[in-house]
Amino acid sequence: MDDVTTPARRHSRRRFLALSGAAGVAGLAGCSAERVDEGASGDAGGESNGTDDAGETNTTEDTGDEQPTLTVATYGAFVDAPSVSPGAWLKETFESRVDATIEWATPDNELNYYLERAASGASIDADLYVGLTTEDLVRADSELDDDLFAEAGEVDGTDAIRDGLRFDPFDRAVPFDTGYVSLVYDGTETTAPETFEGLLDDEHQGALIAQNPGSSSTGRSFLLHTIHRFGEGASDDGGGYGGGGDETIEGTDGDPTYDYLDYWADLQANDVRVLGSWEDAYTAWSNGEAPMVVSYSTDQVFAADAGEDLERHQIRFLNDEAYATPEGMAVFADADEPALAREFMSFLLEPTVQGEIAKRNVAFPATTTAALPDDYASLAQEPATPVTFGYDELQGSLDGWITDWERQVAGN
Amino acid sequence: MSDTPHRLRDRVERRALTALTAATVAVLVIVFYYPVGTVLIEAIVVDGRLTLAVFTNLLQDPFYVGEFARLFTGEGPVAVARAFAAPDRRLGIVGFTAYQAVLSTIVSVALGLPAAYILARFEFPGRQTLRSVTILPFVLPSIMVAVGFVATFGRNGTLNAVLSAVGMPRVELMFTLEAILIAHAFYNAPLVARVTTAAWESVDASAVETARSLGAGPLRAFVDVVAPQLYPAVLTSAALTFVFTFGTFPIVLALGGFELATVEVFVYRLARDLQYAEAAALAIVELTIALGVLFAYLRYEAATAVAARRVRPRPRKSLWPDAWTPRALFERAGIVTYAGIAAVVFLAPIVSMLLASVTTADGSLTLDHYRFLLTRQQTGAAFQVRPWPAVRNSVLFAGASALVALPMGVVVAVITTRASRGRSLVGAVAMAPFAVSGILVGLGLLRGLVFGVEVAGWRIAVAGSAAIVAAHAVAGYPFVVRTVAPGLASLDASLVESARALGASRARALFDIELPLVWPGVVAGAAFAVAISMGEFTATVVLATGADAYTMPVAIERFIGRRLGPATAMGVVLLVVTGFSFLVIERLGGEVHDY
Repeated sequence: MDDVTTPARRHSRRRFLALSGAAGVAGLAGCSAERVDEGASGDAGGESNGTDDAGETNTTEDTGDEQPTLTVATYGAFVDAPSVSPGAWLKETFESRVDATIEWATPDNELNYYLERAASGASIDADLYVGLTTEDLVRADSELDDDLFAEAGEVDGTDAIRDGLRFDPFDRAVPFDTGYVSLVYDGTETTAPETFEGLLDDEHQGALIAQNPGSSSTGRSFLLHTIHRFGEGASDDGGGYGGGGDETIEGTDGDPTYDYLDYWADLQANDVRVLGSWEDAYTAWSNGEAPMVVSYSTDQVFAADAGEDLERHQIRFLNDEAYATPEGMAVFADADEPALAREFMSFLLEPTVQGEIAKRNVAFPATTTAALPDDYASLAQEPATPVTFGYDELQGSLDGWITDWERQVAGN
Repeated sequence: MSDTPHRLRDRVERRALTALTAATVAVLVIVFYYPVGTVLIEAIVVDGRLTLAVFTNLLQDPFYVGEFARLFTGEGPVAVARAFAAPDRRLGIVGFTAYQAVLSTIVSVALGLPAAYILARFEFPGRQTLRSVTILPFVLPSIMVAVGFVATFGRNGTLNAVLSAVGMPRVELMFTLEAILIAHAFYNAPLVARVTTAAWESVDASAVETARSLGAGPLRAFVDVVAPQLYPAVLTSAALTFVFTFGTFPIVLALGGFELATVEVFVYRLARDLQYAEAAALAIVELTIALGVLFAYLRYEAATAVAARRVRPRPRKSLWPDAWTPRALFERAGIVTYAGIAAVVFLAPIVSMLLASVTTADGSLTLDHYRFLLTRQQTGAAFQVRPWPAVRNSVLFAGASALVALPMGVVVAVITTRASRGRSLVGAVAMAPFAVSGILVGLGLLRGLVFGVEVAGWRIAVAGSAAIVAAHAVAGYPFVVRTVAPGLASLDASLVESARALGASRARALFDIELPLVWPGVVAGAAFAVAISMGEFTATVVLATGADAYTMPVAIERFIGRRLGPATAMGVVLLVVTGFSFLVIERLGGEVHDY
């Protein structure tokens, strides 16, 4: 054995190993020390305790007469997108007017993070959530026994909210912007059809990239749009999981025997591609894998910004419709600063702020009074007829619709 | 007086293995078994009541389990076999997932073994560097791989440009099962190559020489002497590849499409829509199959371990042979062919990614995406993700977690190779971090650690850097086990016994005798642990408290926009930093080794 391991070699290796062992122990110690530390800083009661687990910037003790801190929970892109995002501007402007500090919290799993906190009995640690969708609310209400959000109450500017955008029948969520999911197509390669039926034509075989409604919100919106158009539950396969709601959705196509699953069967026959995320789909579309993609009707805003050929970024509203995706904000029921949170909501509905949000979030304002540049509408297009499902229609139905769709499309 | 430190050291040494074992178990329980348990239990406890209904529903559902559903609805195995023989058989989501994982494993092994052969048996400039960076693909987020793959294998991709330039028909690879298999090979063939190279380099020269001197031809010597020492490594990496590709998620939908959806796609959807009972049940089925494969493999390994003493490595051959014998010619032709394939499968997607980071939408060259990283670093708000902290955190977490994963992995390797009973079972359970649905691990960490547990009015929570390091170590340590255990198992047990008879503690025997003999495996394990940490996303975003514990993959995700330039630029930073880390590991490990 001696010729294998000379003492010197052995020694240095031993040091290497000893080093790794020691660091391992140190790592463990750090772990438990952290635990003691965090545990010690927690309050015995259910009150907010200053520990922040949701990507907040810094921990401030929001007690005493010092400047209050408003913790605003939202999705990551609202404060930190590679192009533009409204977060920094909103924080700066609000703080310049109100004697308060805004802290952004952007947990990766968005609203589910707070649902989990509530379900686990942990304190919410945020005052309001910005970026709620209709299905977020449906999900929160069906999952939790207690209300996660409080009623909006006194918020200025709600009178100016456009018709049809208020999606919460219980008046907790106040919409602050909206978007539309539509088709984006490369005008140098194809001309997108004007109707849903047109997508089934031979000339559009393999031409459309959509997204999985189970993992992508654009995919989900497009699926819902097809349900809105063709209705649900007409097919006689009998094994459906859908239709949990009391009423069946009748499509606007006027054919009671043809439902969204029939339409998707036809789409599949015409080689539609269903990828996982909007990023997957847009990347494939940008590389010319197919000339049409399900995306947002604001696509030209980005394209013009990047100096791209707008001919390659055409928008098509099928049947002159697009699925509207209003975003709302609501105060958490156990907010520490409910009054300040409502002040922030009022702030978000002011005309100039509405204009800034629309520009910086690349969306459409929720109010009729928003101050926007005149040319905004030329790049950011709105459909003649926005369609969307309300709270009551989604409640109890959405999961079944998606499950039925999944079972048809991934039938291995 | 003077012997007190010695006695102390002696006592520490004697208890070192026990203490390390206890620490390993503690880490595993706190950052893995307990958190994951809080989620998986939802499959059988619904509304506070114990039930098997969720499982029964799942197992009776042909959508998930295909014709096997017949078994659970009262039909016999014969009926199942007959149904599978029928032309309209249904594999179910689980069946299809296993099917594509088997194919992915075959492709990965087929593409990985030649690389191992070349890296282990030939000498050429840049060999060590190449060996060091083999597993680079491992750290790439799926969206980066998707970018590289579309640019390489897409309708207007590099491959088609080359094919049509040489007058060959174009290929439509995107949105097919083949695209997924190639992507899985892109991730896993390097794993096969790296693990097998380590084993190949441990083959003793004199054993081969003895065989040859006794009249065995090169082929015979390979089959009788070399191959038996490679099987464990090849099968280890094949088993791991199966497990990884069985749990595959975003890449399948990015390159294939929903028609090719795997189990994890549904676990994700169900968890996202808060249907935890169904998600957990599905994840348990997934886990059972993955652990079953690992268990079967470990049983095989236990039954076939060959005793070997590594004495002296074999000399490497030169790529340019001394004499162009037919055999040398044949070998070199094979190498050239393989290099061509490797260039397309491994190199082209990475080069495409590099190109994407320096091109604009209309195809002209630009440094704007890197300028974005600089600007973000300089002017980014405190609540935004900035590149430098991401790089710094990634490196720190990777280093620390490798240092935790190494002792954990070695301890478990020792236990599973020396325990006489149940070692395959312990070994399989130790691999669980590879086999559990990553989505549910993230959820478990959130519930079990970040939100904390209420104990006597105190909410005890674990999060932050230390928790991230521990989670990364747990995710990476099975690699150390798998790269070290086969070597340990093949060591002659009498080596340790004689050392112990001479008074060495168990820990001393391990440090001084066993580990030096399996050193290539230890270094490979360290490289994998670093790779896992560098590429880890789910646990990191969950455990990163405050905006200052994010890593490079988190930054990539944040920088994804309508144009992927900024994200790919960050992806290139990830590649460069990780590649450099691998070089450091191999140098450090190699220096100690070759001292």
